[in-house]
Amino acid sequence: MPIIKQHTIQTVDVDERLQPRDFAGLTAELAADNSTARRWAARDLAEFPEAAGILVERLKREEDTSVREAILTTLARLGDPAAVAGLVECLRSEDASLRNEVIEAMKELPDEVAPIMSELLEDHDPDVRIFAVNILESLCHPQVEAWLISVIEKDAHVNVCATALDLLSEVGTLASRPALQQLKARFADEPYIGFTVDLAIKRIDEN
Amino acid sequence: MTEITISEEDFRKFREYFYRKTGIQFEASKRYFVDKRLVERIEATDSGHFRNYFMMLRFDAKGDELQTLVNLMTVNETYFFREEYQFQCLVNSMLGEIVRRKKDDSPIRIWSVPSSSGEEPYSIAIYLLEHWPGIEKWDVEIISSDIDTDIITRARRGHYSPRSVQHLPPRLLQKYFVPCVGGYQISDDLRDAVEFTRVNLMEAADVRAYRGFDVIFCRNLLIYYDDMSRRQAAETFFDALNPGGFICLGHSESMSRISSLFRVRKFPEAIVYQKPLGDL
Amino acid sequence: MKRILVVDDAATVRLYHRNILEAAGYAVDEAVNGIEAMEKALQTPFDLYVVDINMPKLDGYGFLREIRSQEIAQPPAIMVSTEAESNDRHRAYRAGANIYLIKPVKPDGLLTYIRLLLAEERT
Repeated sequence: MPIIKQHTIQTVDVDERLQPRDFAGLTAELAADNSTARRWAARDLAEFPEAAGILVERLKREEDTSVREAILTTLARLGDPAAVAGLVECLRSEDASLRNEVIEAMKELPDEVAPIMSELLEDHDPDVRIFAVNILESLCHPQVEAWLISVIEKDAHVNVCATALDLLSEVGTLASRPALQQLKARFADEPYIGFTVDLAIKRIDEN
Repeated sequence: MTEITISEEDFRKFREYFYRKTGIQFEASKRYFVDKRLVERIEATDSGHFRNYFMMLRFDAKGDELQTLVNLMTVNETYFFREEYQFQCLVNSMLGEIVRRKKDDSPIRIWSVPSSSGEEPYSIAIYLLEHWPGIEKWDVEIISSDIDTDIITRARRGHYSPRSVQHLPPRLLQKYFVPCVGGYQISDDLRDAVEFTRVNLMEAADVRAYRGFDVIFCRNLLIYYDDMSRRQAAETFFDALNPGGFICLGHSESMSRISSLFRVRKFPEAIVYQKPLGDL
Repeated sequence: MKRILVVDDAATVRLYHRNILEAAGYAVDEAVNGIEAMEKALQTPFDLYVVDINMPKLDGYGFLREIRSQEIAQPPAIMVSTEAESNDRHRAYRAGANIYLIKPVKPDGLLTYIRLLLAEERT
């Protein structure tokens, strides 16, 4: 029978972990030509609290998706202020897929992101404000609805409001009702806003 | 106690959320089934009504309640030749591509995780022997892992109830099983063909040695994990696979809720996921 | 009946598009990101895609690049984005979009482009 049993699992292929696994070695490896080596360096750097800075620098230049994912997982695991600040920086990237990956990583860090949320929601760049609302989607924080209400009350940009509105249609309570009605009046010529406000209010009133 | 009701919009809201998190989409015809389970959980968690329950579900950082619901809404039953179309895809499509890419005659390696009580890895072995002509030429290693040592012991023993083998053609039952008290035992040849190991997919030290696989079957497991654990498991599988290697998930699971590391591949029999060839 | 795949991570946007498109006589399916869109588009053919840019896991550009590299029939795609900058527009066309619309989309505008792309008579 040609199905053969393997009695021992293969040992780790050593050539993808060439450099010593100390901080200097891993930093060097993070710039290796081989993407597997870079990915392993990014993963092993999770053991080093000081790694956030060099990981963020690499993230901005890194083109390989698998390395980027490893860096983001490590940053999410580190979760220190330096990691969070680095992630925020990447929200401003021109690269749409990097931004989306960063949003996902930030969703994993509710406690670390919550303190800077108000600031992000008032950023001068509407895209960053949209991404901040995207992050709110899975932020487990008692203030989520209040943040969303303040966005739809104040933000001048229709798409920032639209993003907040999408989320309010799911988490809105009676507290959102007046702001929702105001929003509909403010963007009276936007059918999407009208449609979604009606939906959100219907859901609130059914409860 | 007042009766708990799920309104039309509650149902829609829940359906949207559940779909976004799991990829499972309930048709309107499933309304009764879904409502019943929701009411059950609202009562079990003392939430009183849908609104409180939904907030708890949504903002539960650990995702425990969502996992409980996934358990209730899906059937996780294991039996021989479950989701057979994937085994057909293995022998008719994936293995051919793997063999064409191979530069030497080293064995083809298949990882089946979780092993559960062994139905899946043994099904793979039977399928290869019965339906893959390449088995004449190529050696295949089947490694199957689970986190639970008790269930691994059961898998090694290979005793199965009549229910568990009911989808096997009688010819195969006769060929690969021996009748025993209360059911059937898998033949010694097959028991010797599959290597069972204990692995916790979340433990870096456990998974580090798992490399060089051509195909991974990981069906109906990741759907029960939270977002972060899923991502971590996906990275483990990425490392374990050879470039161009394939992953098969369960029929109600989608990589779209798990990771962007893999490419979607369409074969005539199934949609599977592939580690990009470029990563060498 | 022509089939349209709406790809957007926002549930209300998908629902909004679905209502507009179904009322105009199209069959609609949805996907929450580019990977799910790949799964659906490879599974069954569509006549047109309406695709958001910013989505988790695989964004709109990534979806179009991937699907355009597959050996399947290639329907037209409308890319919908919050971004008005012209380099986004160019990037969308390079990835394989036929039309680039700025959110929020108005029903008439959307339907006009869809009819145009599907080469249908205006009724």
